[in-house]
Amino acid sequence: MENFSNSVLIPQNLPEIKEETFNKLDGKYLKILFIRIAIFMLILTGALTTFLILIEETLPILVLIIIISIPTLLITYSILITVLGFPRKGYLVREKDLSYQKGLITYKLITVPFNRIQHVEVNQGILAKIFKLSSVKIYTAGGNASDLSIPGLPAEIAQNLKSFLSEKISEHE
Amino acid sequence: MNNPDLSKPTRQSVKGLALIFIQGVRQSIRIFWPLVLMLVFQKEIFANNLIWVFIGIAVFIMLIIHSILFYLNFYFHVSGGEFILKKGYLRKKTLTIPLERIQSVNTKQNLLQQILNVVTLEIDTAGTAAKELKIHALEKSFATELQNQLRSGKINKGSEDKEQAEFIEPEEELILKLDPVDLLKIGISQNHLRTGLIVLAFGFQIFQKVEDVFKGKADEYSGEFVNYMSNSSLALIIFLLIFFLIISILISLFRTVFKYFDFKLLKKENAYRVVAGLVNKRNVVMPLNKIQELNWETGPIKKQFGIYNLVFKQAVSGQNRKVQLVDAPGCLSKHLELLKTDLFGEDNLSTNSKFFSNNYYFRRLWILSGWFPFVFTAPFLYTEWLFWLLAFVWLAASAAYSFLILKKRYFQIHNTQIRISKGAISQKWKQMELFKIQSVEFKQTIFQKRRSLASLDLMNASGSMTIPYIDESIAKLIYDYLLFHTETSGKSWM
Repeated sequence: MENFSNSVLIPQNLPEIKEETFNKLDGKYLKILFIRIAIFMLILTGALTTFLILIEETLPILVLIIIISIPTLLITYSILITVLGFPRKGYLVREKDLSYQKGLITYKLITVPFNRIQHVEVNQGILAKIFKLSSVKIYTAGGNASDLSIPGLPAEIAQNLKSFLSEKISEHE
Repeated sequence: MNNPDLSKPTRQSVKGLALIFIQGVRQSIRIFWPLVLMLVFQKEIFANNLIWVFIGIAVFIMLIIHSILFYLNFYFHVSGGEFILKKGYLRKKTLTIPLERIQSVNTKQNLLQQILNVVTLEIDTAGTAAKELKIHALEKSFATELQNQLRSGKINKGSEDKEQAEFIEPEEELILKLDPVDLLKIGISQNHLRTGLIVLAFGFQIFQKVEDVFKGKADEYSGEFVNYMSNSSLALIIFLLIFFLIISILISLFRTVFKYFDFKLLKKENAYRVVAGLVNKRNVVMPLNKIQELNWETGPIKKQFGIYNLVFKQAVSGQNRKVQLVDAPGCLSKHLELLKTDLFGEDNLSTNSKFFSNNYYFRRLWILSGWFPFVFTAPFLYTEWLFWLLAFVWLAASAAYSFLILKKRYFQIHNTQIRISKGAISQKWKQMELFKIQSVEFKQTIFQKRRSLASLDLMNASGSMTIPYIDESIAKLIYDYLLFHTETSGKSWM
């Protein structure tokens, strides 16, 4: 450890990224996530019901229980993950970079320095339009893995963030 | 023709007609071959020969007309600091590229082009539509001249001292050259297991087809041999192993010789140039600043010969997100050292301490590769005694394999550089300059959190480097340092 700090740490105090300082996503975004799960649930139940009606022979109780319990578990799991994971989602704009964090089981934090951003996009899906939310997508030269998307921002904030970032990009060119 | 005047719209070489024609034939064959095949096998349709001759001639004439029109409508020229390419007769297309966005100009030559003495010129840009900017038939001398003009045009735009640029005709320095003996060594030391598997997959398919067709006859001829083989499974396995080993060694050898024949790595000013190939000759220029990462690899057999396999990873151009790789199949450690110094400067990393991944990484690998398959198959097979034997061997083998992975997984970091090592049986190193980083990712599962471990992903324009399972505090420190370094570095990543 000591050896390591000697070789790397030139500046006295590197600026740290603190989890608590992140901006939370808009609460309305949680509603969108719920609606998505609900749609998924509807499709799944529809498919299951058609399957059970169309099938002619009667299934053993055990098979029936498995067929019904797997989707139920899946949906309960996704609801739980969404509710518990939502407070962990957040973004942070610092002087020189932009970060986004997420993940309940696997926590992920990704940071893109402003001087590496290629261009910025504001997107709005159908659901998001109803709730007046937008997402900001940041492209770098690093390919899909390093692109960054911040969902669930109030449309106005998303626009502001975009113009702020565009300004930062032009500074570096 | 030898001194290209780029201000006027120019067509490609007349020989291009032949190339366009042959490409047309190829395309039509690709589209119509199932139809043709069907017709050939249904002989009765050929009763009326005249119609087929007529259709053949019609297609032939149409292809010729297509070639001529395509040729006549294919122009390129430079005006207003832009390279302009026009093509197409039914659907006209104009491609425009600002000269300063041209990254590199490469040439390629396949067998036919070698016979005609023309080359394909590829203009690589930092933007989109890169794949479209190809001129398939240029006289070689013309192409070289054009290559130089486009390149120097770009340089002159940057700096005003035009005189200097013209005065100093930079000399090319030969860095690496592979003669046939080297290629032989390299071919033998390839990863035969991988080639073997491909051969096996292909061989199996071909075998099935051949079997279908010649089933009756094959039985007559090879009855005895097949009988003997199927009666002694051990002999069969050994025979197959030796057979596929020989075939894959031969294939590796041929592949290496064909692809890397007369391989040369040259350096000129701020770019490397790679020339190689027996049938398909390629001539690739890599500007140094476009190289994001240097990878080198050695395996158990390669180590005996002291051979390393080199890969230059270049920046991905624009939306066309395909990593460009230029590789040298083999080089000696002195070449490797030379290239490393050339790309990264003085080697400060080798003396720095190695940070290995935590032992817990081994556990995860072993659980995933060993215990998972075991636990999932056990309920179905637990009655078989052979299963328990195989399961034991499998668990032991995956433990050994995971251990090898753990022992080779480390990284070394310095103020401006990072190098990571990974591998199991062979070992691979990746090195990059820290300012090439595009973004950084910190990952931590709840299992890692309990043990204060984390993983890092460092993304650059040609891919990413992963540092798995290191101390959380170190990971955070590196994370912050990398951001600090990238944000304060004034150097452009490309």
